[in-house]
Amino acid sequence: MDIIVKKIIAEVKKGNQQAFAELMDLYKDKVYHIAYRMLGNVHEAQDVAQEAFLRAYTNIDSYDINRKFSTWLFRIATNLAIDRIRKKKPDFHLEDQVAGTEDLTYYSQISADVDLPEDQVVQLEMQEWIQQEIMELPPKYRAAIILKYLEDLSLKEISEILNLPVATVKTRIHRGREALRKRLRD
Amino acid sequence: MACSQENQKHIYKYLDEEMTLLEKKQFEAHIMKCDECHAQLRELRKTVAIIQSASHFEAPKGFTDNVMKQLPKQSKSQTWKNFMRKHPFILAAATFFLIFAVSLSAAFSDDDKEIVVKGEGQFIVDETRGVVIIPEGESISGDLIVRNGDIEIAGEVTGNITVINGEYLLASAEQVSGEIEEINQFMDWLWFQTKSFFSEVVNFADDSESDNHSD
Ligand SMILES: [Zn+2]
Repeated sequence: MDIIVKKIIAEVKKGNQQAFAELMDLYKDKVYHIAYRMLGNVHEAQDVAQEAFLRAYTNIDSYDINRKFSTWLFRIATNLAIDRIRKKKPDFHLEDQVAGTEDLTYYSQISADVDLPEDQVVQLEMQEWIQQEIMELPPKYRAAIILKYLEDLSLKEISEILNLPVATVKTRIHRGREALRKRLRD
Repeated sequence: MACSQENQKHIYKYLDEEMTLLEKKQFEAHIMKCDECHAQLRELRKTVAIIQSASHFEAPKGFTDNVMKQLPKQSKSQTWKNFMRKHPFILAAATFFLIFAVSLSAAFSDDDKEIVVKGEGQFIVDETRGVVIIPEGESISGDLIVRNGDIEIAGEVTGNITVINGEYLLASAEQVSGEIEEINQFMDWLWFQTKSFFSEVVNFADDSESDNHSD
């Protein structure tokens, strides 16, 4: 995998745009997933994920081929997502959802498309609820929790993605986990 | 909550699997007796399990195409680089002002197939067609040897031309001052090698009368 990725990136660095399409196909799902978990909205997730790839493309020369590509890419994506959250009005996702944006979660989109059997509806509701709980976390804890428990990344990788010392990452995971525990207890 | 600050830390260490075997045993023994720590540990485990049960999903359809459409148009130098990458046959209109030997794609093909050029001047190597081109207006001063490729001359060569395992294409005689020799058999090649070896080292008997009156 690593060798293939390195070869593809070397091509991209030479200016081969088609190679970049191959690179995207390898990472788009993960980048989109991280963006969605950070933002909780399919449109914004797509926006941020696409922007992340565009930036990766234009800055590919600054990517050090000896480092892990996914770390570099996820860093761009999480930074963009955190920026996006900061720019939003503080209570945007609570108040403005009433105004017709409530159908923008991944699950509401699925359930809007088809009639689902009861057990799957329950599944979707459960999934929707998990995302809501993630969204309740402050962004800095949210990022750490997503990378750790949804992407299953090591503390070292997370520390590189978030540009924070490992100890700080640990603290954020602990605090995020604790905040979720308190909410989920009820 | 945990029964003490200390045990709070232990819970995290336990969950993060950062305990030594001994610490783990001691802490497990504590949990058996302490409801508070036990409850918190259980809740945290449940929390993690719930978060991890969040499903993964794919990027929307057309995602890659969408981004590809937005990529910056390639600059001229970029397009040129791309062209060079897609058409590696034009290695370069390489300029060499010393006697040289070029062997192409040495890394990828066996010795038999690489094009070897020996001469002094400017030329182009078209690797796909296997042709060495002396472009119009260019001049090779002295002899030119091409091995494993054809030679196409639009410019000028002042010396002799030897083509080994190749052909001499498209040129009028005026453009070449010396002789043109094509060598396509192994024995011919060997003969050529031997002959040139001798003519360089010793004065080969047959040739010595016609030219070469060195010193
Ligand atoms: Zn205790």
